[in-house]
Amino acid sequence: MTDATHPSVAETRAARRVTLRHIADSAFLIIVIYLVMAVVYVAVQPSALSAYSIESLFNNSLPLMLAAAGATFVILQGGFDLSVAGTISLVNVVIATTPMEGPGGALALLALAVALGMAVGAINGIIVAYLRIQAIAATLATMIICQGIALLILKAPGGMVSDFMVYELTASLTDRVPYALVIAALGVVFWTIYSRTDAGRNLLAVGQDRKAAALSGINVQRTEFFSFVWAGAFYALAAYMLAAQTSTGNPSAGEPFLLLTFAAVALGGTAFGGGRGGVTASLFGAATLMLMQKVLFAMGVSSFYTGVIQGMIMITAVLFSAAVHHAASNRRGA
Amino acid sequence: MSDQTAIPLEDTRKAQRISPTVVTVATIYGIVALMIVASRLVSPSFGGLSQLETILYLSSFLVFCAFGQGLVILVRGLDLSIASVITVGGVLSAALMDGSNAGLFYVIPAILLACALIGVVNGIGVTVFNVPPFIMTMAVGIIVYSLCLGFTGGTPRGFPAPVLNDFMGSRFIGIPAPVWLLIAFAAMGTLVQSFSPFGRKLTAVGNNPEAAYVAGLPSRRLTVSVYAISAACAGFTGILLASYANGATLRMGDDYLLPSIAAVVVGGSSILGGKGTFLGTVGGAMLLTTLATILSALGIGQGWKTIMEGAVILLALILLRDTVFDSLRAVLVRKD
Amino acid sequence: MKVTNKLKTLALAALAGTTMLSAGAADAKTADGKWLIYLSLSYSGNAWQSEAANIVKALAKTPPYNETVELVEVISGTDPQAQISDYESMIANGADGIVSFPISSNALNRVVRRGCQEDVLFFMYDGTVTEQCAYNISFLSGGFGENTAQALVNELGGKGKIFLSRGVPGNSVDERHTDGAMHIFNQYPGIEIVSEYYSYWDDRTTQQETAKALAAHPDVDGVWAQAGEYGVIQALLQADENRLVPVTGENSAGFRLALANPDMQAKGLAGVSSGSAPAQSGFAFKIMMEILNGEREPLPEGERNIEYPLPWVPADAVKMCEGDTFEDGCNVFGEDKVPSSFVSEVFNPELLPELSLTSALDGNPTEGATIQPLPEGAVKRAPDMPGINCRSCEAPDNQYDLTKIEATVQP
Repeated sequence: MTDATHPSVAETRAARRVTLRHIADSAFLIIVIYLVMAVVYVAVQPSALSAYSIESLFNNSLPLMLAAAGATFVILQGGFDLSVAGTISLVNVVIATTPMEGPGGALALLALAVALGMAVGAINGIIVAYLRIQAIAATLATMIICQGIALLILKAPGGMVSDFMVYELTASLTDRVPYALVIAALGVVFWTIYSRTDAGRNLLAVGQDRKAAALSGINVQRTEFFSFVWAGAFYALAAYMLAAQTSTGNPSAGEPFLLLTFAAVALGGTAFGGGRGGVTASLFGAATLMLMQKVLFAMGVSSFYTGVIQGMIMITAVLFSAAVHHAASNRRGA
Repeated sequence: MSDQTAIPLEDTRKAQRISPTVVTVATIYGIVALMIVASRLVSPSFGGLSQLETILYLSSFLVFCAFGQGLVILVRGLDLSIASVITVGGVLSAALMDGSNAGLFYVIPAILLACALIGVVNGIGVTVFNVPPFIMTMAVGIIVYSLCLGFTGGTPRGFPAPVLNDFMGSRFIGIPAPVWLLIAFAAMGTLVQSFSPFGRKLTAVGNNPEAAYVAGLPSRRLTVSVYAISAACAGFTGILLASYANGATLRMGDDYLLPSIAAVVVGGSSILGGKGTFLGTVGGAMLLTTLATILSALGIGQGWKTIMEGAVILLALILLRDTVFDSLRAVLVRKD
Repeated sequence: MKVTNKLKTLALAALAGTTMLSAGAADAKTADGKWLIYLSLSYSGNAWQSEAANIVKALAKTPPYNETVELVEVISGTDPQAQISDYESMIANGADGIVSFPISSNALNRVVRRGCQEDVLFFMYDGTVTEQCAYNISFLSGGFGENTAQALVNELGGKGKIFLSRGVPGNSVDERHTDGAMHIFNQYPGIEIVSEYYSYWDDRTTQQETAKALAAHPDVDGVWAQAGEYGVIQALLQADENRLVPVTGENSAGFRLALANPDMQAKGLAGVSSGSAPAQSGFAFKIMMEILNGEREPLPEGERNIEYPLPWVPADAVKMCEGDTFEDGCNVFGEDKVPSSFVSEVFNPELLPELSLTSALDGNPTEGATIQPLPEGAVKRAPDMPGINCRSCEAPDNQYDLTKIEATVQP
């Protein structure tokens, strides 16, 4: 609730104050945290800079990054979407049970996956935005239903994923830049453009203050609805890349994503309750979580008490980002 | 959002004398009763008192931890650490009681206190340091679980006190002891949440934290105490679960995290805080448990069972929607 | 190139008659000349996992391995992505071998293949991967499902209402067990499965799920259970303290003690204890060490699926252990020594004579024990199981043949 600082203060000396506030609001902080962690990692583990290490790190991180990006759309407007776990499981098994070879097949599957993800998102959107059911409960129900359908399609891990997806999509562009990184960068580009469109601005406005948004002529329900549809599309992308990386389908593939996705979003600095944050920040938040696994290993913290360190890092990162944000708001108030 | 629009509507209709809360709670228990009666179609042993007894017995664990979850949700929070704290309660009772009844009267309070302290950490993180409840309680949950793992070396040892194990299997006046406990707990919980100054203050904080603060309510202290209560409830659940199963396992709390939230929300509470009753939560927990017993008896594949589970939850949510009650009330008024 | 070098070193060392120690020193990758072995657990949430891990830790501390092995334990949680990440780190750190409980039978294939190319030996226990360069040491092909199902059918005389207490939905191990069991149950029209539920291989979950099923079917005649079986007994007693039914399950101490308890037998309990043994991890570790030390030829790819013998303890074979290890054919420890969820199959007098109770509970070596070579013929190839230990392969026709028990009732 601390983020409820509306631009109501006088706008003198705006420029300087806005810079710090801008930094606090943007993905800048989490990027710094990510870079610091990356430096630590490279210092302890020099082999981390090999082309292979980079490629595998990004391949491994991408599904969570995309899932967190999707969840951000819903969280920004003040909602909640637990269906991420079910949607990923469902799309994952559909891909693994729909054999299509080659680049054409991969493209067709991508279209199918995204369509399916958006369909689940649309159902969530209708239930939450138009039937006015509480998002956390409604999406819990759709998550369970999606998991059930996934089990009907594939009752145990298996299925086939085309060689093109398994080997080409997880490789590197000109052997240097992993495609996974390219896809993540496209996500950043997408958000940078989207957040500057009316739809993107509405998303944040609705999250900041629904009543004010409605009064200023924003169609709140429509905004809510489309946030779920976009989320579904990104979950589907996550499931698609997960299938490529693991080369199989698994009816419970999405389960590990449930809490990690929200942890990644929170780590990125996006406010639960809406109105502040962004997809770029969540992409980095997820990448940070995956990098943390590497750093913990490299530092030799790997046994029973790993969780203690993981939990501490999560809280510290959020505290750090909140502290900077607080400093920014204070200076604004001064 | 829907609440905010619903409140003025209510004010104008005070004359109807049907409080929406009462309607919500009645509807939940109505659905549960309907499900129990209809379950006779599934199995001839269903639809009777013995099924009700089983449902009450099994839902008691969920009710105990959902009470704390409900209070946290009432003040706009969320407690994701309860799964781990349930495990703490179970692991500690197995380890400290170690199969003997001696010292039970200080061991149980000690365990509850230890759990409450975890809740205090949650509460301080949320209030003083402004960490979002979601991330704070999740991180604390991970930390606590990891400590349990290290403490037990992966294998929880020992047994809870035999007297507790006997209690879980005993009956008073023909009704299982845990069901009596559930009834007492429900009465007490309702009193605390809906009819005590403490509960009213929490509702005020949940409705509007800024206004509550301005009105001089110690919102921080209230919030911290709510997290402490939630953790103590989870610890209590852990003690009873360990007594029920005569031993602790490290994943004993996992099955209660999402259901505890679901029970609260199905029970008519708003996840946005400031609205909800414990009787509704008890109904929500019973609804989920009834559903599980019926699904368990159905001879269909797991995929279909899972789909039905989700569908029934969704249906219950739609039936419990405010607008449904609004139209219902409108009809009732016209009849008058 | 690297492989041939390693083999050459080992051959030379063997020729020169040098000790194991110097062979290790000549070739191992850590600075102090020890083999660098990682123990990777995907999930350390129950007694089974920690016992399996403790066994490997105890063996690594038993002479002469205490001088030649540096064992690092890594817990990756329940997320396959985390285990993939950890495998990558282990390979990058120059692991000689990885002993692991794999969380997924196929999600890890890519990183495993990559590790094999870097000369890392992968030994999976209990769970399996379908990547053919990894060794899978598992009881799965031993036919737990069909053998226990037949034992239950025999107890019930070929007819009756039963529950299936299964493992985790969407899990390939659960599928294999259940497919085997259904192969038997389907032959007996008198057997009626009235309830089938998932118990997540956990005692407490099993107890609650069984209680739910009992609400609808208090007249059940038998229960076929996977791990968590002790919860079945507790739920049955809770519903009616004077009535038990035949139950087949896995290896918890609580269940074995109940099977052998005359009071319980008088109430109607009968059955068999079988299933997954934590000792598989120790067997995997010893095979790996023998290969690393040049005492055993590596197996060719495609023949690396190794069967761990299926434990089989019917009620009349349960025998309490007086000491701290499996001696004189004993196979269960009392309540004073272990919790009821303790998985009894931690020892194997033939394959793992080095272990005692403290090894399983705390990961300590047995005093005075030294590593014994595996007996002749201990390593037996497991049959193919598509989707479990191989990808494009066919299951043999006799995959569900009974090995532990014969049908005493005809369909």
